[in-house]
Amino acid sequence: MTPGVTWTRGEMLAVAGSLQVRDGDVTVVGLGLPQVCGFLARRTHAPSVRLLLEIGAFEPDPTESAMGIADPRMWEGSTAFGSLLEVLGVMLHGQRVSLGLLGALEVDQWGSLNTTEIVAEDGTRRRFRGSGGGNDISSSAERTVIIMTHQPRKFASTLAFLTSPGRRVDGRSRPELGLTGEGPTAIVTDRAVIALGASGATLESVHPGEDPDAVVAATPIPLAVPAGGPAETPSPTRFQLDLIRSRLDPKRWYTG
Amino acid sequence: MTVGLDRRCSMGDFVAGIADGTHLALAGFAISRNAVAFAHELVRAGRRHLTVTQVIGGLETDLLAAAGAVDTLTYGGGSLDRYGPLHGVNQAALGGSLTLVEYSALALTLRLHAGALGLPFIATRSMLGSDLASAPTDRGEVRAGENPFDGAPCLIMSPLRPDVAVVHVDAADKAGNAAITGPTWSIPETARAARSLAVVAEEIVKVGDIDPSNVDIPAAIVDAVIPAPRGAYPTAVYGHYDYDGAHLQMYVDAGASGPAGLAAYLERWVYGTASFDEYLLRAVA
Repeated sequence: MTPGVTWTRGEMLAVAGSLQVRDGDVTVVGLGLPQVCGFLARRTHAPSVRLLLEIGAFEPDPTESAMGIADPRMWEGSTAFGSLLEVLGVMLHGQRVSLGLLGALEVDQWGSLNTTEIVAEDGTRRRFRGSGGGNDISSSAERTVIIMTHQPRKFASTLAFLTSPGRRVDGRSRPELGLTGEGPTAIVTDRAVIALGASGATLESVHPGEDPDAVVAATPIPLAVPAGGPAETPSPTRFQLDLIRSRLDPKRWYTG
Repeated sequence: MTVGLDRRCSMGDFVAGIADGTHLALAGFAISRNAVAFAHELVRAGRRHLTVTQVIGGLETDLLAAAGAVDTLTYGGGSLDRYGPLHGVNQAALGGSLTLVEYSALALTLRLHAGALGLPFIATRSMLGSDLASAPTDRGEVRAGENPFDGAPCLIMSPLRPDVAVVHVDAADKAGNAAITGPTWSIPETARAARSLAVVAEEIVKVGDIDPSNVDIPAAIVDAVIPAPRGAYPTAVYGHYDYDGAHLQMYVDAGASGPAGLAAYLERWVYGTASFDEYLLRAVA
């Protein structure tokens, strides 16, 4: 940890999420933190990552904060415009996308996601934005990474609604379900990185200053802990933080 | 120069031809390129029992749902981006007056694509293993099957052919050749799937003024050309105007206070205005 450097939980999440992007990835990003992670990776360790937006924007490089994927600010700097069928059809369903970065309301131990609706304890239902391209990304990308804040209510062994399938659904594997790709490989939160593999979820690393036991207690899904304990996630660098603050999220909507 | 057909008509005349119970296809996306002028006119005309298909819902969808005009909405989700959720859609759905059928964005686009091409069916891996497949399966719109060539599981989907599609374009000539700039999301498939297509245009240009290479929707599939400058307000039209964030926020705030809030918005801004031009004058004043 560099002396004098401090960061917010949101910045830590953006940096940890960006580290999941590999140079050369072809990536479909959801709005918000996934987008900050993707742009941060491109400006640091993964300069040749290609980012795509389902609305039909290829490799955007926005300079202003956008209100969403349908905000024209978000499409600035794109190298090509096309259609949803080109991004989610030709690129994604056509097996040309290596990484999907997705947000979630609720996640289970196999990385299946709910972005459709939440049912409160009193039975009240609250509806959210639904799948959009999220289900398509989960069904067809070579791998996906889930980016979300760490709240116990967001982890559930049974989702209120399974919008996007993870590594297994009802005990069935992706090939048995007819899905391609490995599925989700990690859940990155503002407290930890949870690796997802063939045997389930493992607490791979906790962020600097986090107590592993407290993180496990705040993660109510089956969660393995490595014999020697989890690693510590690398701290954000000054360069990463400057990029987030000056360029990628200057209004602090996602990382404040 | 070909004289050609003249398919221009006013928004009022077009809406007069849309009956209760029509299956509409809309093509806005959240806060961009919504056919808001069309939605206002439909609401003022008191249309009921509409079925709406839209890949990503936005303001137009929510206005129709808030007005109680829609019985069934088939969509791939939707929102007003960071301004907030589709309160009108969500409240009508949770209240039981609106049946929501949720797809993934790609699966619904593929059903429209199959409808446009007259394909007997189309198959995908999207929605397999998810809860999204349940409602469309129960409705007989999709079914789990297997690839006849390799036996792998797949989702077999029926083609979708709405009655009327309404699409907001940058420019159109009087015959209907239309151009769109920026990303086109599911506009191409939505426009082509419907049995009848209306283009709502920011600008009417002379036949031949749009370079044929730039025509996104050929007149051959267009039935009506409706002039409506700023007709997508308060949503954005790329290259023409930005969204009006303050107005969108006011709409979302009205929705957040419940159905009465949306009713008050409609009363003030839709029922309380004689035309979309009057709405624009008041809204930007």
